Amino acid sequence: MIDSLMLIDDENLFHLVFEDACSMLDIALSIESLDSSDEADRKFKAWFPDDPEHERPDCVFVDLNIIGSSFDGIEMIRKINQEYGNGCVIGIISSSSDQQEIDKAKEVGAQFWIIKSDDIEPRLEEFYSDYPGYQDKTASFKIYK
Amino acid sequence: MISSRDTVKVAIQKAAKKKVFIEGNFVKLFAESSDEDVRSYINECKRRDQANRKKRLAITKQVQQQNSELENAAIINKSLILELQQSLEKLEMSKKEAEQLRDEAVEDLETIQKRTQFELIGTIVKVALWVIVGVGVLTTAMYGLALISGTDTQIIGSTWSNMFGILLTNAFSIVGTIMGVKYATEKD
Repeated sequence: MIDSLMLIDDENLFHLVFEDACSMLDIALSIESLDSSDEADRKFKAWFPDDPEHERPDCVFVDLNIIGSSFDGIEMIRKINQEYGNGCVIGIISSSSDQQEIDKAKEVGAQFWIIKSDDIEPRLEEFYSDYPGYQDKTASFKIYK
Repeated sequence: MISSRDTVKVAIQKAAKKKVFIEGNFVKLFAESSDEDVRSYINECKRRDQANRKKRLAITKQVQQQNSELENAAIINKSLILELQQSLEKLEMSKKEAEQLRDEAVEDLETIQKRTQFELIGTIVKVALWVIVGVGVLTTAMYGLALISGTDTQIIGSTWSNMFGILLTNAFSIVGTIMGVKYATEKD
């Protein structure tokens, strides 16, 4: 089970769906849901470089378009990977399947792309089975649809 | 009540007796116990937690779906309002154009009417002047003929002077009336 998981998504209702789905599927033990990339950025900024030993999330799910935030999910992933040490499994969770955006996400280091739908559980289950590969960076980029 | 002096087993037994079960991810941290009571309590906690999650997830999904339906309906409403506004603006523009065309038509009609009136007045003036000149010439010719032929000119002379006076007066009256009508029409 993933010890600590972070979700960055502007849709609060999806937080509940995601948390319940993850809990039901025994995917994660602790889930922190944030509704803006600015808030996530502030947290990561506080941990790095001043507090590199801080227990950071093992895995981060970022929405592509985070309404009300200064930057989108792709920029968030770039920041986490390049400015904050690239220490976690990270990817996009979005209802979009725009190939251009997927390519951009791959470029900045996203490891997976989960397409949101009403039936999110099978995708999360599949992701969880691939998770060890993402952890040791052996798994290639994958789209869950 | 559970007290701090109770062992975990006693606490669990008290909770189970009161039908109180632990919820949330905390349940997942329990290790397997060899004690049958503890094991069955933990399993029941897990089962209830799972059931509650499932129920909440179904409700949340339903709310999420209704929310997205509402959002879609709001978007459709917005676009309909926009269309309505655009139609209203078009209608206003058409109304203005129609009014402008009507005004132009009224103006054209007035111009035509005025032109017709002026033409009529012109014709009347011309005819009246020709009549005045004709009567003048005829009377003068008759008077001249009487003078040349040496006949009595007393009656024709006085008639000629009277006629001439009347014709001049009428001519000025006609010209005055025409000028007055023209002035009044221009002012309108």
